Amino acid sequence: MRRRDFLKKTLTAAAGAVTLPYILPSGRLFAATGARKANHVVFCMFAGGVRNFESVQKAEGNLLRTMLNGTEPITSDIAAAMEPLPNSPFAQPLQNYGTLYKEFRYSTGPTGHYNGHTTAITGTYTQVDLNIRDHPATPTIFEYYRKHNTSSQSAMNTWWVANNLGPYPALNYSKDLNYGAAYGANFIAPTFLISPQGFDALGNMKTFSSAEEAIVTNIKQYVNSNFALQFLDNDAGIINQAQDVKTLQNFILDKFNKAVSGQYVNPWNLASANIMNNDMYNILFAEEIIKEFKPELLVVNMQDVDACHSNFTGYCNNLRKADYAVAHLWETIQNTPGMANDTIMIVAPEHGRNLVPNSIVDAYGRKALDHSSDATSREIFCLVLGPPNVVKQNNVINSIKGESIDIVPTIANILGFDNSIAGQLQGSLLVDAFY
Amino acid sequence: MKNYKIKILIVAIALVNAIACTKEKKAVYEVNEVTIKGDNNPKVRAKTTLEFISIAYQDILGATVSTAQLSSLSIAYTAFGDKKLIEDMIIKNLLNEPGAIIPTKASMTADPAKFVDETIKKIFNRNPNEYEKYYFTNLITTNTNVTPEAIYYALMTSEEYRYY
Repeated sequence: MRRRDFLKKTLTAAAGAVTLPYILPSGRLFAATGARKANHVVFCMFAGGVRNFESVQKAEGNLLRTMLNGTEPITSDIAAAMEPLPNSPFAQPLQNYGTLYKEFRYSTGPTGHYNGHTTAITGTYTQVDLNIRDHPATPTIFEYYRKHNTSSQSAMNTWWVANNLGPYPALNYSKDLNYGAAYGANFIAPTFLISPQGFDALGNMKTFSSAEEAIVTNIKQYVNSNFALQFLDNDAGIINQAQDVKTLQNFILDKFNKAVSGQYVNPWNLASANIMNNDMYNILFAEEIIKEFKPELLVVNMQDVDACHSNFTGYCNNLRKADYAVAHLWETIQNTPGMANDTIMIVAPEHGRNLVPNSIVDAYGRKALDHSSDATSREIFCLVLGPPNVVKQNNVINSIKGESIDIVPTIANILGFDNSIAGQLQGSLLVDAFY
Repeated sequence: MKNYKIKILIVAIALVNAIACTKEKKAVYEVNEVTIKGDNNPKVRAKTTLEFISIAYQDILGATVSTAQLSSLSIAYTAFGDKKLIEDMIIKNLLNEPGAIIPTKASMTADPAKFVDETIKKIFNRNPNEYEKYYFTNLITTNTNVTPEAIYYALMTSEEYRYY
């Protein structure tokens, strides 16, 4: 059974900145470094390779109606292939609640998905020698945040929610010796974890009484004290604090229970359950994390638009779904006490797509598009949303301004620790988005 | 002069014969009996994900994990960033499998020493030391809340179990 079907069918079948200093894992004492613009940042990678022609330039009509102003109709030859989606939950398109960079750039490095993700998450351009089997060489935004932020260093506050496995789990921390797993994010690929395979492996855990748990703790302390090695950070991925482990396990079990009880069958009440794609489910689970943990920093991605390698019309359809998912995510944030009006969301593709199509033609006669580092595949957009007293509202930047490596320093500035990492980054603050 | 040379020759021949004809002593190299379980060999290598899953499955279910099951377990493993947390869940899940081969509480309490010996050998792949024998036997005989499952769970989520 496919993952998405599990989520649908199992269900059908079942019918302010804290300024106190704190001790880091290294034992080093840090104090607050700067004022925050907001206490939460959500970075939504509108990934999979999105061309500006089909997004902000609306060459096929306005495919991103919840994000962009305009009622341009979708090109007639592909309009029939567009699946119905609900109206935006907001009175106006999202660009009115923030700043839109229409000519953002992914300036250098191969336009590969993993390269693009790595650049956006580390603030460092990559080259052809990027090792997809290893963690990035330079620190991720998660590590900068956990090492230098002024509030909390818990991994519960920092999440990387990926729509895929492959190399993507490696983006929650780098192999930089000064950072690494001790400062990494909680990584989750929810559509893989909350799946039939995940349920088989984890969904039927033995429970122990409190008396038994006390015995287990006692035994583990005894045997661990007699063994020299510890399976720790890096080899073991990131390590959550003991008190957080049970919370996280209960969170995972709760998602299994919701899947089995049918709560993930068409959870957004779309016209058909089949419209809900992997991107939408990934956003759905990011929303569950937001509601449960109210993280200060969460990065989530989507990549279903990459269907464009063989299906241009499907790409357009998936752009619309991703657009709706962004609005749904922003609505969840605004309905979550503690994050509403205190969150800045950044939305940007990892890279674009080529100017010249490949030879594959879809059912609607449209030619498919790859992404192989031509000039067009470096043209992207960036939308910054946030409270009106912090983020410039209804602000459109039409000139070439801003690039992928500016997102990390911008997040650092929003969360008030940019001064601590000054000189470590290639990019700079997206100043035009803020008052 | 001639006699002198003959005497030297006789002495030399006698010396050579004395060395060459020394009876060889039979050396007997005795070797103490040793167990092939390397109790004193430090476990220094962390198990890989697949090794951990396969060994845990074998230890609890007494069978080789199937390809399909290995795939399920591997997906769960890689889909979350805290491996220890997922390993904890995997072990609890295996312990709850209908085919789990775990001694009963009755057999454990009937012969704690045997249970400790067999369990440490099975889980840690070595003999228990005297301290461990005392610790576990004492625990089993003095605490009625101790269950074989709790001991298995504690050992299989310990640091030593993560290494070989």
